[in-house]
Amino acid sequence: MDAPFALEMRDISKRYPGGTLANADVSLDVAAAGVHAIVGENGAGKSTLMKILYGIEQPDSGAILLDGTPVQISSPARAIALGIGMVFQHFSLVPSLSVAENVVLGAEPRRGLVLDLPAALRSVGELAERFGLPVDPAATVGTIPVGQQQRVEILKALYRNAQILILDEPTAVLTPQEVAELFTAIRGLVARGRTVLFIAHKLPEVLAISDAITVMRGGRVVGNLRTADATAEELTRLMVGRDVSLQVARTSHAVGPVVCAIEGVSANNSAQLPAVNDVSFVVRSGEILGIAAVEGNGQSELLEVLSGLRQPTAGRITLGAEDVTGWSVRHLRQAGVASIPEDRLARGLAAEATIAENMVAERIDRPPLVNRGILDWSAIRRAATELVNAYGVRTSSVQVPVDTLSGGNMQKVVIARELSSQPKLLLAAQPTRGIDIGATEFVWQSLIQARNRGAAIILTSADLTELLALADRIIVLSKGRLVAAFPDPANLTPEDLGTYMLGAREQPAAERAMAS
Amino acid sequence: MTELLTTIISATFFFAVIRTTVPLLLAALGGLLAELSGALNVALEGMMLSAALTAVIVSASYPWWIGLLAGVLAGMALGAVMALFHLRFGADVVLVGFAINLMAAGGTVFILAQATGGDRGTSLALPSKSIPRLSLSWLGAIPGVGGTLEAALSGHSYLTWATVILVAGIWFMLYQTATGLRLRAVGEYAPAAAAAGISPDQMRALGLILSGALAALGGVQLAMFNYIGFTRDMTAGRGFIALGAVLLGARRPGGVAIAALLFGAFEALAIVLPALYTSIPGELIHSIPFVVTLVALVIYARRAQLLTRRRVAGVEGAT
Repeated sequence: MDAPFALEMRDISKRYPGGTLANADVSLDVAAAGVHAIVGENGAGKSTLMKILYGIEQPDSGAILLDGTPVQISSPARAIALGIGMVFQHFSLVPSLSVAENVVLGAEPRRGLVLDLPAALRSVGELAERFGLPVDPAATVGTIPVGQQQRVEILKALYRNAQILILDEPTAVLTPQEVAELFTAIRGLVARGRTVLFIAHKLPEVLAISDAITVMRGGRVVGNLRTADATAEELTRLMVGRDVSLQVARTSHAVGPVVCAIEGVSANNSAQLPAVNDVSFVVRSGEILGIAAVEGNGQSELLEVLSGLRQPTAGRITLGAEDVTGWSVRHLRQAGVASIPEDRLARGLAAEATIAENMVAERIDRPPLVNRGILDWSAIRRAATELVNAYGVRTSSVQVPVDTLSGGNMQKVVIARELSSQPKLLLAAQPTRGIDIGATEFVWQSLIQARNRGAAIILTSADLTELLALADRIIVLSKGRLVAAFPDPANLTPEDLGTYMLGAREQPAAERAMAS
Repeated sequence: MTELLTTIISATFFFAVIRTTVPLLLAALGGLLAELSGALNVALEGMMLSAALTAVIVSASYPWWIGLLAGVLAGMALGAVMALFHLRFGADVVLVGFAINLMAAGGTVFILAQATGGDRGTSLALPSKSIPRLSLSWLGAIPGVGGTLEAALSGHSYLTWATVILVAGIWFMLYQTATGLRLRAVGEYAPAAAAAGISPDQMRALGLILSGALAALGGVQLAMFNYIGFTRDMTAGRGFIALGAVLLGARRPGGVAIAALLFGAFEALAIVLPALYTSIPGELIHSIPFVVTLVALVIYARRAQLLTRRRVAGVEGAT
């Protein structure tokens, strides 16, 4: 054996107190000064493995070697001391403090008793410049964009002299342009001798940035590949354990009459600031209309208006022939609107209620589930069991609380309930956020089937590849305004959409109006 | 009306305002530290009360400064108890705080009766001492304003002047030292501090114990200077008004000092008004500080809403 690996993990096993075997004999060899990707579905054990490496969890057995030397990583502080840094998916930043204060927090430069802020500003500025991570050290963290916040996280690790940097799903929160900038920064880190561990489940990104890939499934390593030899299909098969088709056949299908027309709708966000600004479009029976927008550009508020959760400040919404502007959630549901909300646990489900209760929540105000005001529990259980079987929710019983299910299975419960009402208009907000490829495939197929049955579907997603794969038409919102509309997304790329999403470009009004 | 004005615009009234402000301000500074560390301290009231009694009993047999130290230790002990139950045993910090308030309200009366041999109302039987006054009679020699300055500033307790230094010291600690940065980071977003290797529990325990010490100083000033001796329930809601001052002062030492001064001024007003307006029921006048607190907090909440809106608008404009 020649030069030792920067990091070796040998036969790591970890069983959680609940009995879940999160890691089983996992071994990992990471070469120095490269990008090593670890891919796998949710629950494959990637996070546990990284928590062990960062000292948050202790393995039951196995060894960790840095540059060939065995080490014990008993805590994050120890990991930092050994030169391991981690950037979590949820940033660990204090919003009201400056960039420099956030970076030096816990390892502050001092002059006697006094915190040496000028020194902090200086060294953070130098660090940012040296590693090509441009950010203003004096800016308040809460006011800078997410992409820059991520740079602050990386700077925090570098400030503590991290040689190995773990990035946990770093692209999940970024726009395509920000992803490109991040990749440039990662290449810069590697060029300066740092080793990057890249945890991900978006395969195109993994293939673009990594040198080597480890695939995990069910707590085990199921493949080690060199990126040059890997393909997305092969990786997907390894991750899921079977062939998965995330290719949606663009079958020709009949687009019907207009189901819902939105005319000049404006709405405020929860802080009473304008969030949706004079938006007009229609959606027809048998089509999926995709809304592309960077998070926080009015798409959430727009869907809330359409589902009746938020009152518009201007404009008109018609459903079929009826003016439904300002209708309540319940009336809209009765009129045929169904909704897969963005936040499953807060709005899609009652987390502590049972699967059965969640499944029937929308129709327990009428027979056959209710009999002279009394719930008919056996009918409810029957109805719920039918849906659980039809939608393949993996559970032992419909009587267990819904929050004991995995994310993918929870989403199946939401989708089963919403689609069982045979909606005319389905609002799907981020329907595959945080669920694994197997469940994503199922969600996609469910949406396609609903569309083919004649439902009109409005889909928002932070994942542009999802929009491009599913949507029959795409509109783009930027700062609450409709800035572009594409009647045929077949030839669009994420980058095309990105320039409009960031507000850098705008279609002429006539073109937008025709396509929307 | 002229009578009222001449009363208020006088060195004597100014002296009274400082006198009423200091216990409030000390407690509010305590509330500030706990609040910034992320643990709301609703037990300021109970801490003040316990420290007041401790100081009175101890100073009956020892010098005044030992009484003061004993009071501070009592406050710190209660802060440590809060930290223990909240941080170690996971109890809700507000519930623990109220438990301490209830315990202090009953416990002080019980111990008072033990110490005085049966008096459940006051400590008149105990020869407790007071904090010495700092005489600034040389101010009187200044031509012109000398007399006024002397009347307003001379004769406050050592602790009053220490309080002025404490405001500056706490500002320095919060904004110019690593400990302050860590305390604020823990209070605002503990996971970030934890990820940087700082123990949130440690910082909160520090916040609560320092909070206890400062609230205790407020109680000691009350029982060893503003009044000499302990009276049952002598804090009379000052711990809660102090909490109001923390919020109204926008959670910054200077702001907290100004807010405490405002509340102190109304408390002083409530003392002088009954003599001027005998027709108004005294109870109504004594409720003024509480009404002012309430009104101030409502105004503050409205302003905070507007600020958030503006800030959100600013961020959205920037992206």
